[in-house]
Amino acid sequence: MSEPQEAALLSKVASEVFAGIIAPALENAPHIQAAEHDVLAKEDVLVRMERELKRALQKTPAERRWVMVIDLRRCIGCHACTIACVAENKLPPGVVYRPVLTEELGKYPHVTYRFLPKPCMQCENAPCTPVCPVHATYTNEEGVIVVDYDQCIGCRACISACPYASRTFDFGINYTDKTVDGLPMMLGSSQAGKYETAGAAFEYGERRERKKEESPIGNVRKCHFCLHRIKEGILPACTTTCIGRATFFGDANDPDSLVSELIAKPNVMRLKEDLGTEPRVYYLV
Amino acid sequence: MIKKLAYLVGGVTLLFGLWGFYDRFAHGHQNANYGSYVVWGLWVAMYLFFAGVAAGGFMIATLDLLFNIKIFKGTGRVALWGSLVCLVAALISIGLDNGHLFRVWKVYLQGNPFSLLFQMVWGYTLFGIISVLALVLATRQPDSRWLKPLMVVGLVLSFFISGAVGALLGVNASRPFWHVGLFPVQFPVFSLASGAAMMLAAIGFFGRKDDENRAQQLWVLSIASVVLLVVKFYFMWADYSQSMYGNVPMNVQAVRQVLFGEYWWAFWIMQVLIGSLIPLFFLVQRKYATHNHWAAWMGILLLSGYAVARGLIIFPALTVPELEALVHAFSGPHLTFNYFPSLMEWAVTSGTIGIAILGFVIGSEKLNLFSTTPKEA
Repeated sequence: MSEPQEAALLSKVASEVFAGIIAPALENAPHIQAAEHDVLAKEDVLVRMERELKRALQKTPAERRWVMVIDLRRCIGCHACTIACVAENKLPPGVVYRPVLTEELGKYPHVTYRFLPKPCMQCENAPCTPVCPVHATYTNEEGVIVVDYDQCIGCRACISACPYASRTFDFGINYTDKTVDGLPMMLGSSQAGKYETAGAAFEYGERRERKKEESPIGNVRKCHFCLHRIKEGILPACTTTCIGRATFFGDANDPDSLVSELIAKPNVMRLKEDLGTEPRVYYLV
Repeated sequence: MIKKLAYLVGGVTLLFGLWGFYDRFAHGHQNANYGSYVVWGLWVAMYLFFAGVAAGGFMIATLDLLFNIKIFKGTGRVALWGSLVCLVAALISIGLDNGHLFRVWKVYLQGNPFSLLFQMVWGYTLFGIISVLALVLATRQPDSRWLKPLMVVGLVLSFFISGAVGALLGVNASRPFWHVGLFPVQFPVFSLASGAAMMLAAIGFFGRKDDENRAQQLWVLSIASVVLLVVKFYFMWADYSQSMYGNVPMNVQAVRQVLFGEYWWAFWIMQVLIGSLIPLFFLVQRKYATHNHWAAWMGILLLSGYAVARGLIIFPALTVPELEALVHAFSGPHLTFNYFPSLMEWAVTSGTIGIAILGFVIGSEKLNLFSTTPKEA
C-alpha cells in the first residue's frame, strides 16, 4: 500500500462514521467496557449546573452574573430547546424566544449543516432598553433584560433596535384560532382553545391567563433566561432539554462554575462583537 | 367643484377607513402584515409623512406670521391649519400602530426622558398646543404681542420634531441603512419640502380668486419645491452611492431592495416618475406653476411622492435579516421579511387620509382661513 493510500485509509478509520460501523464489533472488548463505565460514572453537566445554580442563589442578585454558553459543536439542530421554550412560556404562534438558525454549508457532495441556537443575548450594553419610552424593558439587577408587560405600550422600538432579532411581538393569535370545533366530547377548537388560553403562563413569576387585549397580547416579548425557574433553583428550559448537552447556564461571577470555565476557553465567541453590545450569551466554536 | 371633489374623496376614503378602524379595534394587529421582523409598516411610514407635513406646514406659516414676508401675507393661518390637521393624522397613524394605545399616558407620567420616543411625544404635545394657540391668536388677535414668540418656539419645535424622526431611525446602529449621521439634518429639509407641497395644493385649490398675490405665491412655492426636491435627491444620491461603495452587505441589500428589489416600482414609478419628475417638469414652467389647478395637482403629486419616500425609508431596512439564517429559523404568522401592507392597513391609512382631507376642507371653510385679514373672516 502506497503512502497516500495509507493516509487516506487512516483518515477513514479516524472518521466518526467508521467508528460507528466498527463499534458493535468492539462491544465485548473488556477495555472498552471499562471506559464506558467511567463515562457513566461521570457526573452529568446538568447535575453540576443545578448545584452551581443553587449556590449562586445564596448570593444577593447583584452579585450574580447569569450567562449562557452554547457549544455549537455539540448542537445537532433538534430544536428541542425551541420547543421546550415554547411549552414552558406558553408562547403563541409568531412568538419565539429561541429559534435555531440552520445554515447549509458547502456544495454537494461536501455538504454540512451548522446550527446556531439564538436566545436573547442579554447584552450588557443593550441597544433595546434605552429606546423604550416608558422604562418597560430594562436590565434587572441580575443582568437579565426583562419586559414589564403591564408597562409596555407596544411601540416596538426595542424590536427595531435589537441587532439580534431577539424580540417578537405578540399579535394575539392562538394556535386554535380558526380551527373547527368538534363534538362536545371531542377535542375541538373550543376545548383545545380552553387549554391554550385558560392555562396560565408563569413568565416573570406572574400568573397570566391569555385574554383578548390583555398583556402580553400587544406586547413585545423576549427570552428572560427562564427567570421564574431560576428563582426556584431550576435551570432554564432550553438547558435541561438539550439532548446534546450543548447549552450551559450559570453564574459567571462564580470562578468555580462550569460556565466560568467554558467562557475562559480560547474558542469562545459572541455574535456581532463589533457592535459593542457585550452579549452574555457565548458560543463555543 | 374642487371642494365637492375634496368632500367626495375625503368621504369615500373615510368610509373605507371606517372598516379598517373597526378591524383594528376588533382584532388588534392580527390582520396587519407587519410583524416581528418587518416591525414597522405602512402606518409608521404615514406617521413620518404626516408629521413631516405638519412640521413643514408650520415652517411655511412662519413666513407670514413671524417673518412678515409680504408675498405670503394671508397664508399663515391656512398653513397652520394644514399643519394641525396633519399632526392629528400623524398621531392617529402612530397611535393605532401601538400595541396598547390607551397606555400612552404612561409616556407622560412614567416616561424615560432619554428615549427619543419620549422626547418626541412631549415635542408633539407642545407643538400641537403652540399650533392651536398660534392659530387662535392669528385668527382673533393678529396684533397680539404673543403671536411672534409663539411662532419662534413653534419653529424651533418643528425642527426638533422633524429632526427627531431622523434621529429615531438614525440611532439604530445595527441597521446601516438608517444609521446615517445626517438623518436628523435631512428630515427637516424633507418636512419643509412637504410643507411647501401642501401649500401648493392648498393655495392652488382653495386660495381666494381675487387674491392678487396668489399667482406669485404659487410661483415662489413652486421654485421652493423644485429646489427642495433637488436637495432631497442630492441627499438620497449621497446616501445610496456611499452605501453601494461602502459595500456593507446589510446596507447594500437595503439599497438594492429599493432600486431593483421588492420595491422597485414604488421607487421608480411612484417616487421618481410620478412624485418627482412630472411635478418638476411642470413646476419649472411659470405658466403651469402659476396656474391654480396645475400647481395644486403638482403639489398633490409631490406629496404622494414624499409619502412613498417615507415608506422606502422604513421598509427596506427592515426587510434585510439581522442574521441571514433567520429567514427560515422559525415559521409562524408575522415572521417574514417580506412586506406589503394588508387591506386592513390600507383601509386605516385611507381613513386617516380621509380625516385629513375632510378636516382641512371643513376647517378652511368654517374658519375662513383664506381671507387676507382676520377681519374679513
